[in-house]
Amino acid sequence: MKIKERILPQGIILDLEGDLTYANQAAFKVAVEKAKQAGCRHLIVNMEQVRFVDSAGLGLLVLVSQSFKRLQAQVSMLKPQNYVREIMSLANIPKMIPIYENEQDALIALAA
Amino acid sequence: MHPNALQPTGPGLDSSAQPETFVAAILLVEDEPVTRASMAARLTRLGYRVLEAENGRAGLDMARRERPDLIIVDWMMPEMDGPTFCEAVRRDPLLKSSQILLMTSHDKPAQIAEGLVRGADDFLSKAASKQEITARVLAGLRTSRLVRELETTSSQLESSLLLLQAKQEEMEADLHSAAAFVHSLLPPQGSPVQGISLAWEYQPSLTLGGDLFGVMAIDAEHLALYILDASGHGVAAALRSASLMTFLRAENILQLIGSYDPEQVLFEANRRFPLSADGAYFTLWVGQLHLPTGSLTYASAGHPGALLSQTQSPARWLIRSSFPLGFDPSALYACDRIVLKPGDRLFLLSDGIYEVSSPGGELWGRERFQKTIDEGKPMSLSATIASSFSAARGWQQAQHFPDDAAVVGIEMTGDPEERLNG
Repeated sequence: MKIKERILPQGIILDLEGDLTYANQAAFKVAVEKAKQAGCRHLIVNMEQVRFVDSAGLGLLVLVSQSFKRLQAQVSMLKPQNYVREIMSLANIPKMIPIYENEQDALIALAA
Repeated sequence: MHPNALQPTGPGLDSSAQPETFVAAILLVEDEPVTRASMAARLTRLGYRVLEAENGRAGLDMARRERPDLIIVDWMMPEMDGPTFCEAVRRDPLLKSSQILLMTSHDKPAQIAEGLVRGADDFLSKAASKQEITARVLAGLRTSRLVRELETTSSQLESSLLLLQAKQEEMEADLHSAAAFVHSLLPPQGSPVQGISLAWEYQPSLTLGGDLFGVMAIDAEHLALYILDASGHGVAAALRSASLMTFLRAENILQLIGSYDPEQVLFEANRRFPLSADGAYFTLWVGQLHLPTGSLTYASAGHPGALLSQTQSPARWLIRSSFPLGFDPSALYACDRIVLKPGDRLFLLSDGIYEVSSPGGELWGRERFQKTIDEGKPMSLSATIASSFSAARGWQQAQHFPDDAAVVGIEMTGDPEERLNG
């Protein structure tokens, strides 16, 4: 999985590319840990280029969301593809991690 | 200490365990007694232990017995000459790595080349000075020591590899034994109660799987069924699944809750199986079938796979959005209810069956799975399940699934009265 980090004044955006699965979750863990260490208050996970998330990837997203909440920080997601959106929806993930359709909406909501 | 007393190089010697005064052994193979005695005396004066043999055959016997650190052999000898001796050494598994100095009174390039091709490591002129003999012997002994160190390391590596292989076999045997145990916990196929058929197919991605399921009679009127899916793979997922499976045993649930009410079962399971520190969790679907009426009450904790196949209508999914176990400690799980009629089939499945990709990267997906179930209506229950596995394997063009894959089917084969009396 490829991850590109973009640092904005309002938070950090992680642009993910590839599958978020049991086999390749390490890179995501490292990127999240780096954001936490940098004191990130708003983490936006851009899922536009993520084709597939398995159960382990889903668990990891929830874990990240919970750990940010404990730090009074927030995690949100951008533009998941249809199949990923369906998986998220079945597991009720949008109730935990807000999903936005564009960066602007996510940044505005996070600032609110 | 004598200047030529070397670090240990003898056969099977551990350099760290030997005394510092270890003296290298040199085998001198020479048929001419005067030359042999003169060379032996020189080498002895240089501080080496000298072994002597008067011809090639005697030299080979002595080399096998003594494993010298260096062999100096004359070219010209009756019966077995120097190059033939070298070839015999290279063919002998015990001696083949020996260092050999071929002694000759000639130094023609063609002769040197022939000696090297036939197995010599270096040459020593019979007319060599004391300094040259010292230098060539020391170089030969240095190489000999390195070769023996390599042999020792290689032998240690081989032993470690054998040990690792033995451990691996032991671990695999344990895993197979654990897999057999888990398999024995799965419900027997056939007819759990009269009027109901049960069939399933299960293909763990590794030896041990994290997807498990159960179908069991609660009392004379109720049948409980569930499927659970542990996130991740392998031993850790399988152990966690076995733990949840133990929790879901009918006796345990009846003792804890008093009934197999799916809503209550999920509530209790959610309380007891939180999201682990590394993000591991379960999805779980639980149903309770009232046998006299065919009424099925069910609830799901984020589980994506329960499909109802009825004779007169396309299959439909019996799921709703809900948190998997452990995502939210305060989560409530609402029940839904349907009535199953004779001929209806209910399939419980893990996502591993449909989350398979074609070589081009396209997912098989839920819709294609559903289509195989619809098309399987004329077939037996077990044949329908088998065809779904076959279609998934065909799609991914591989026999093994990347995730655990399970499909459990029950079919209402008799009328309610029959089930009640059964």
